[in-house]
Amino acid sequence: MPPSIHPVDLIGALRHKHLTPAIVFLTSRRACDDAMQAFERSQTTLPPARQDAIVSVFEQLVQQYPSIAEHPLMPVVQRVGVAAHHAGHLPSWKIAIEELMRQGCLDAVFATTTLAAGVDFPARTVVVTQSSVRKSRDFTDLTVGEIQQLAGRAGRRGKDLVGFAVVTPSPYIDLSVLTKGLTGQPEPIDSQFVISYPMVLNLLKAHPLDQIQAILARSFAQFQLNRRAETLESKLDQLHVQMKPYGPRVCTDWITQWQTFDHARKQKAHRVQVKRREPPELAARLHFLTPGRVVGLPKGRGIVLRQYRSKGQRSPTITVLRPGGAVTESPADAVTQVFDRTFDVAEAPVYPWVTPASLEDLARQASDLPVRMPALPILVQEEDEEGEIVQTLTDEFPCPTCPSRSACQKDHAGALRIRQDVHRHTKAIQALRTGLWHRFQNRAEVLQQFGYLTPTCHLTSEGEWARLIRIDHSLLITELIRADAFSGIEPQILAGIMATLSHDDDRPGAFPRISPGLASLLRQVRQLAESLAPHEDPPLLRADVAALAERWIGEPTLTWIGLCRTTTMAEGDIYRLLARTLEYLSQIHQLRNTHPGLADTAGKAIKNLRRGVLEELP
Amino acid sequence: MTTEELEKLLAEQPVSRLHRLARGRIHQHFRLGKRRLIETLLQHSSENRAGLESDLQALMQESPPPPPPPRRKAAPESTAPRPRQGAKPPTNQAEAEPAEPPVDLTAFLDGMGVPEPKPFVPDAWQEDALTSLATTDVIVSVPTGSGKTYVAIEATRRAIEAERTVIYTSPLKALSNTKFTEFSRLFGADRVGILTGDRQDNPQAPLLIMTTEILRNLLYDAAGGEIDVRLDTLGLVIMDESQYIADPERGVVWEETIIFCPAQAKLLLLSASIGNPQDIADWLTSIRPTPCHLIRHHRRSVPLRAGYLHPNGKLTPLFRSVGIPHGGGTPLHPEAKRLFAQYEEETLRPNR
Repeated sequence: MPPSIHPVDLIGALRHKHLTPAIVFLTSRRACDDAMQAFERSQTTLPPARQDAIVSVFEQLVQQYPSIAEHPLMPVVQRVGVAAHHAGHLPSWKIAIEELMRQGCLDAVFATTTLAAGVDFPARTVVVTQSSVRKSRDFTDLTVGEIQQLAGRAGRRGKDLVGFAVVTPSPYIDLSVLTKGLTGQPEPIDSQFVISYPMVLNLLKAHPLDQIQAILARSFAQFQLNRRAETLESKLDQLHVQMKPYGPRVCTDWITQWQTFDHARKQKAHRVQVKRREPPELAARLHFLTPGRVVGLPKGRGIVLRQYRSKGQRSPTITVLRPGGAVTESPADAVTQVFDRTFDVAEAPVYPWVTPASLEDLARQASDLPVRMPALPILVQEEDEEGEIVQTLTDEFPCPTCPSRSACQKDHAGALRIRQDVHRHTKAIQALRTGLWHRFQNRAEVLQQFGYLTPTCHLTSEGEWARLIRIDHSLLITELIRADAFSGIEPQILAGIMATLSHDDDRPGAFPRISPGLASLLRQVRQLAESLAPHEDPPLLRADVAALAERWIGEPTLTWIGLCRTTTMAEGDIYRLLARTLEYLSQIHQLRNTHPGLADTAGKAIKNLRRGVLEELP
Repeated sequence: MTTEELEKLLAEQPVSRLHRLARGRIHQHFRLGKRRLIETLLQHSSENRAGLESDLQALMQESPPPPPPPRRKAAPESTAPRPRQGAKPPTNQAEAEPAEPPVDLTAFLDGMGVPEPKPFVPDAWQEDALTSLATTDVIVSVPTGSGKTYVAIEATRRAIEAERTVIYTSPLKALSNTKFTEFSRLFGADRVGILTGDRQDNPQAPLLIMTTEILRNLLYDAAGGEIDVRLDTLGLVIMDESQYIADPERGVVWEETIIFCPAQAKLLLLSASIGNPQDIADWLTSIRPTPCHLIRHHRRSVPLRAGYLHPNGKLTPLFRSVGIPHGGGTPLHPEAKRLFAQYEEETLRPNR
């Protein structure tokens, strides 16, 4: 089976069940055009009466929009009674299709899902073939609101008793998204408030700085932020209630006090543990195992020559001089007795660790040791670690001896968590309440830096005219004007630059030639755009669309068809590009008072631009 | 009730009911299968048998006893052709589910046709919107195609009769053009003007059509000190498709326009169904001189039905009911479900 129903079969099936006229929403313009081609190849032919009806409606439309008279799709539409309707078409053609649909002349229209809001004509049936839509390179699932918007086109008031939304599968369709969309509640919408440079200038033109915060507070953005802040505030209130039992104790800020103490205690405990590896009895002895001391070992006695600890050795080791004159090594914990007898030794840094004279003397002494010698009574301190630490920390902290110590220890973890939540919420609330204002201030600072605003946030003479440029990339455009980039240029070059600034679509469309003048200016614009990148996102600045606009304005004899032949861009895209260029140029045209020469150039460009197809619609 | 009886009774219950019974009794009961669940239930409630029994009785009374488990074992998505074809009366199908039988195609398509031409009578909500508009701002959030345009036209007519200027904004130039044609036909070409970035057709007309950006610019110019007579006599601002306020790039323009809209003009916001129109109404109430009146409903003037068209040309209803049900978890029509499962099976694994 094919992955999706053939468009001719689809319309056939709908016709059979009397479900026409229908709007079929397809994934892409390409899919719409393919469907039309499929119809072109098919044997479908409308009865002559219906073809005549289409022709008569169409002829009326041609009087209003002459550009559609020779439209290549018209004969096909007339023969098969279906049409494609997407952003690649000229607005006049789309208007014609909509009118034909309203008059009930067509059986179906293939439209793209992307511009559901632009499809403002109803039908008996809406066919949905996919559950996701391409939004800037990614496919995202249709929202409930979008699906209902699509399905809402079904059922013409006064012409239908019921409307039908028909789902037909295509690859990658997710039926659950569509059923959820049809049955569910639309999503809540959120404000998308952004503060732009022209907004800052226009606000400051009309209002002094101290009123701005109040104006921003009237936005839906701030309204929604306040809502969130209010929920956080109620949470904060709850937290304050929870915090009640953890009020001031012996110290006012006992949580911090305990936290510091706890930290120090843990650090200390850690440190001591590393140091004290030996058992207490050994530790007590170690102090006595100095050179010259007589000690008892499991086999005989000896005089300690040195005490050392090798790397990786668990316990210290001693070097012992035996009565026979032998020098041996023995672990310190092997010492059975420590006698109350020491000899003077002259220590040396190398084996045998004492000077030869001293060694000789000691060897003699070792052989002459008395049989009985008094042993040293060594007190082993059975002191626990905790006690010792407390002892050390008492000097620095009041906590160990504080009366509320146990309460602090018990409540600390909970209180700390609540206090952290309080801090977090307070910060979040502050950000929600003042975020918009800070963003405004950031923008205003940039404008001060560039000299559109005085340090007191009044408009400079530059700001006075810059506020009239209320389009995307306004900072780049005003900076270009200030840099005299446009002085004395041809209208077509200005139009080319405006076209490339206005065009943010990366849909490919090749155009071979660009004039050297435009190319060098475009290079300059790119440089400036890059230098402004920290303050404003740089535009795409495509050379091919610039060339397209340049060509249309520069050659008044060029026909629309001729222009379309030079590029692979769709007609509708070219139209939109030029319409946007027109909008940008007319903003420049407003600068009559301050930049008469530039405004004049823009005026000329507008005059040349507005011809043919572009003159048909207001 | 003996242990055996209770065990038998529990075994007859559907698993979901057992899970409800186990809630609060058994830790992590959702991990257990039916048999283990029954075992643990019995084991757990050995000391409080009466409590378990009474809970079980209550649960059983809450919903009727389940039907015998369906015998169908064969996977419905198997590609083997099934004997059922077309719109077969669903009564003798073995799929006994607690809801009423799914609608068949004839009933689904029944009632299609052209309504009797009858004089247009505005709906109650439309009247409500128009009356409220005399004193306050109004937000209309209703499904597409349920008659928002009528409200716009009628409100415009009333405002023009009261010698006030009306501004109608739409998000797209294409929609502006359509409305321009439509309104010119209704009110006469001399009473409708259109403003675009570079051109003004009939700019002193009582009804002006423009994109929202143009109105925003007008309002900024007026705030900046340039006097515009039209704004002084402005009585009504209609913003069509005002759900665009959530548009990531252009939404801000709608906010600016609403914030700076003169206080003496009334706002009429027309929007498709959105989730939180009340929020927008509350916002307007908070910044505008009069409390905003919200009109919202989900009723369509032309009822909508949903169908499923299989690539082989077979049409079935999409849902079990004739109309589109509300709320999540709505069961699909068994036939649509089967066909779609079959479709997925065939397209996702082309090698099998």
